[in-house]
Amino acid sequence: MQRIWIDTDTASDDAVAILMALRWPGVQVEGISTVAGNVPLEMCSRNARTTVELCGKVVPVFEGAVRPLLREPYWAFFFHGPDGMGGMNYPEPKTPPQETPAVEAMIQAFRQSPGEITLITLGPLTNLALALALAPDLVEKIPLCIMMAGAACTVGNITPAAEYNVWVDPEAARMVYLSGLPLVQVGWELCRGEANLNESDYQYIRSLDTIYGHFTLDCNRQAIQTNREWLGDPALPLPDPITMAILLEPGIVRRRSKHFVDIETISEMTRGMTVVDERNVTKKEPNVDVIWEIDIPAWKETLFKTLR
Amino acid sequence: MPRKILIDCDPGIDDAMAILAALHSPELEVVGITTVFGNADVENCSLNALRLVELEGNDQIPVARGCQRALVVPLESVGTHVHGLDGMGNTNLPLPHGQLDGRHAAEFIIEMVQTYPGEITLLPIGPLSNIGLALRLEPGIVPLVKEVVLMGGNIYAPGNISPLAEANIYHDPHAADLVFRAGWPLTMVGLDVTTKTVITPAFLERLYAVHNPVTRLLERIQPCYQQFHQEVFGMDGSFHVHDPSVVAYLLQPDLYRIQQMPVYVETEGRGLGQTVADGRRQWAERPLINIPLEVDEAGVLELLFELLTRPVSPSDVGTPG
Repeated sequence: MQRIWIDTDTASDDAVAILMALRWPGVQVEGISTVAGNVPLEMCSRNARTTVELCGKVVPVFEGAVRPLLREPYWAFFFHGPDGMGGMNYPEPKTPPQETPAVEAMIQAFRQSPGEITLITLGPLTNLALALALAPDLVEKIPLCIMMAGAACTVGNITPAAEYNVWVDPEAARMVYLSGLPLVQVGWELCRGEANLNESDYQYIRSLDTIYGHFTLDCNRQAIQTNREWLGDPALPLPDPITMAILLEPGIVRRRSKHFVDIETISEMTRGMTVVDERNVTKKEPNVDVIWEIDIPAWKETLFKTLR
Repeated sequence: MPRKILIDCDPGIDDAMAILAALHSPELEVVGITTVFGNADVENCSLNALRLVELEGNDQIPVARGCQRALVVPLESVGTHVHGLDGMGNTNLPLPHGQLDGRHAAEFIIEMVQTYPGEITLLPIGPLSNIGLALRLEPGIVPLVKEVVLMGGNIYAPGNISPLAEANIYHDPHAADLVFRAGWPLTMVGLDVTTKTVITPAFLERLYAVHNPVTRLLERIQPCYQQFHQEVFGMDGSFHVHDPSVVAYLLQPDLYRIQQMPVYVETEGRGLGQTVADGRRQWAERPLINIPLEVDEAGVLELLFELLTRPVSPSDVGTPG
């Protein structure tokens, strides 16, 4: 049994990633912590609980940071819809959030089972940064942290230089990146191009006619529409589900290597850029396992397995 | 009713004087002490906080250990060249017998503020990491805190740890910025007044002539601090009164002339940790901060002398360290 903890700013693609973990045999989701990011915290919490209930599971959902450490929040309604779920307006979940604050719950979980629980982060790194500040010993207790974060040696999505999760709370990201935790960076570039879901993928997913398949496309309908109108691209990028797929099926990774990665926090133009020292010119100890390439058919098959 | 204060500190030689003065004041009730890295590493600062509460039998006051480093900037150095490796002037005092509170300082601060809404005055006299962390863990504490009176920063006076920055702010500028923009009643007792308040060898001679556990401890730890002020500022045995000024301001604010301005903290580059007052409101709106700019030096020194030498009732006195 693989035990995992999901930290998420739950909106459309996060929801699909959560679904994948809940549907994957042999994986136990110990807890879900929510953080303000794509949408405000209450909405993340609600969307996470909606997803858990859709899968017929019982997983505690904790509420964490309501805003980035220093910067002002920047919501991504334009991409995720007014409810963060493509405007589907799913009914209020029956389960309330846990009363324990997310940061406290994370510290408790990792201290109770040191070395046992893999952490996956799908949103800004605010909760994890706060947890590490309160409990520096977590560095020894979290065996692996897989992050949907950054853009390795390529363009960003929210700015030309930066990926949204890192950009929105760059100071928190810097705290995490320099903390000594064993980190895996899954950059947003891995969901581009052929890795996007395309029209034939949509048709296949609809043809499955399962609640999971319909949910996957429904809650992402704003993302599909925005992508089409904004970029003229009818495809759907799914960075969080790709990150989850790498956790569930590490074999889909085609190329990875360890490097020193630091976060730009000073410049406004390149704020939140993940600066990867690919050629080791700084001679600093590598701190991040950077994923460069995945097997695209295998990633899609990993997703489809959880939707059938 | 004495006023409830929570001291967040990095003792630290001047922290020791501030804490002991506060403990001697009948107008103040120290509800807890939280520790942070700064003048020494957080382990030594925490041991010192325990020693200070135990000095005169105040063992009931909880001491909670806090951050061992700044929130964002990697730690480069602590102030052991000023305060000694042990934070107490390399005096290697006996270990305290008490235990630290199990909670992290930031959690302790949040719980105390929530337990006594509207009553707690925070007295941060070290880097502001614990307070910044508490603000982000529980933003709801802001309206529940009565007031924050901190030692840190400099508006017109030059810096001390760098040409531009004061040490407490410099050690965690990001946390300091969170504290300055939080929107609670905040007074910044900075170098503008603390460097105009000078304890001289004559003052110390008068102080040490009064025998109590406090003056005996101060006599032991102070020489390291005097030596630093001699080497860096050529002060011939005198030194600036930084942290104790916060206690003086709290008890007798009329000893200071204050001005109210918004304050920004520089978080990057050569000016790291510099506190910048926006006197003409040319930048976006921020809450006004009380900034003491002038001080009745003799008044402050007299108040501190009175506090430190004030007899405590024998039942309060435990075994001196």
